[in-house]
Amino acid sequence: MQSSVKRPVLIRIICILGFIWIVFSFPSVFSPAIKKMGDWYPALFGLIVACSFISYIGVWHMKRWGVQLFAITFFVKEAVLFMVNDVSYPGIAFSVFFLTSMLFFYKRMDLNL
Amino acid sequence: MIVFGLLKESVSFAIVSLVTNKLRTILSLLGITIGIFAIIIVFTIVDSLEQNLRKSVQSLGDDVVFVQKWPWTFGPDYPWWKYMNRPVPDYPELNKILENCDGAQSAAFLISSRITIKYKSNSIERVNINCASHQYDRVKNFEIADGRYFTDIESASGRPVAVIGDLLAKALFPNQNPIGEMVKINGAKVMVIGVFKKEGESILGGSVDTEVLVPINYARTLIDIRNEDLDPQILVRAKPGISNDDLIDELTGLMRSIRKLKPRSDDNFALNQTSLISNQFDSLFGVVGVVGWVIGGFSILVGGFGIANIMFVSVKERTNIIGIQKSLGAKNYFILSQFLFEAIFLSLIGGTIGLLIVFLLTLIAGDSIGMEIVLSKSNIILGFTISILIGVVSGFVPAYGASQLDPVEAIRSN
Repeated sequence: MQSSVKRPVLIRIICILGFIWIVFSFPSVFSPAIKKMGDWYPALFGLIVACSFISYIGVWHMKRWGVQLFAITFFVKEAVLFMVNDVSYPGIAFSVFFLTSMLFFYKRMDLNL
Repeated sequence: MIVFGLLKESVSFAIVSLVTNKLRTILSLLGITIGIFAIIIVFTIVDSLEQNLRKSVQSLGDDVVFVQKWPWTFGPDYPWWKYMNRPVPDYPELNKILENCDGAQSAAFLISSRITIKYKSNSIERVNINCASHQYDRVKNFEIADGRYFTDIESASGRPVAVIGDLLAKALFPNQNPIGEMVKINGAKVMVIGVFKKEGESILGGSVDTEVLVPINYARTLIDIRNEDLDPQILVRAKPGISNDDLIDELTGLMRSIRKLKPRSDDNFALNQTSLISNQFDSLFGVVGVVGWVIGGFSILVGGFGIANIMFVSVKERTNIIGIQKSLGAKNYFILSQFLFEAIFLSLIGGTIGLLIVFLLTLIAGDSIGMEIVLSKSNIILGFTISILIGVVSGFVPAYGASQLDPVEAIRSN
């Protein structure tokens, strides 16, 4: 299960921060505040959280699909937040920083699953 | 197509694994069942209570302002001794409001009391009687199922006529049409001219099903309408397009001028609206929802750990099988999806059982407590969403670990 590529410290920090974000985001999927936004919003938000979690696992193992999934999830998440008028600029800044850092190490990452 | 076939095969592998280890499957899905049950039952109860309450509040009228002596809500340091000395609204004030309030579409004076109503040998005690002025039907939301409302002349001249609630009609006139019949209210003969449409029990109390409505001018002959204990009030409905806040501003000025209050003196009346009640309950339901969310969240967390644990055991147990599958050409995503589907199925079955228990409880509770408790579409979607999410999050790491195993080392393992 060990990846052949050594994990840089920055990626390690990003993934740990990401996992912490997942831990806090997970309960909010079924929070009353999210539920009030619409019948399908918890499902959509849950999908985003699940995809984010999987993408961090991928990045942790230095897999390219992790970065790709992170990028897709980021754009979908921001599009959804924009539609429900709940855009967080610090959140976008963090995600852009994470994505840029991941892309910096992208070429060193493994192509396979 | 090949990928689809492989995915289908991995699903069947997952199902076989779950069926083979029945006891383990049952024990691991119990955590999810309890978690989903805890969250959804709290949300279902809160949603149902909120819905019933909103229905009750709406029946009072969203766009109605109640001119009364006492406010409906007050803080801990409210000066009750000042409120005690306030005068109660009276009938002449209604006429002045009707004449001078531009924002009012309609207004009515109302008092309530308890009476005994009789028809032949049938008698019902402590029935709520509402005595209202003519425009009451334009201020209060109700429908008349049988018969009619008072005419202008009946209201103005105070004829002994009444509209009675559905339950009262059924109790006093079993198998008989009550319209045109004479009932006795506190000994006085009154003709029933209408029956309210059945409304059902109200969470706030005061359903029209058990009420009697008579014209206020007739009520003068039965009771003292100036009695403060009868909670005299003036109900004012806003014109379409006029907000309650605008109406309250106008009524404040008007009531101050009617009561000839000096510019520096405090108001000696309260202008209440239904949003005061719903705002109070919004905060209450918010707290209950958050408590349910926290309790359910911990149950879900425990359930998720249970599934992750079982999946790690499952991967360990089948390591050599994974090795054989990989050496025979199974792709990483095939192994990954096999274990991931197993976790999702496990979680989904647990969640479905939890939802079924909630559904059965809503059926039982609905009949026994007399309040409609509904497992809503949004809560069903939420239940399935949480189940799938738990399956993915707790199953992905073990599944990914299994997919990354080296075939040779996997076959060698015990």
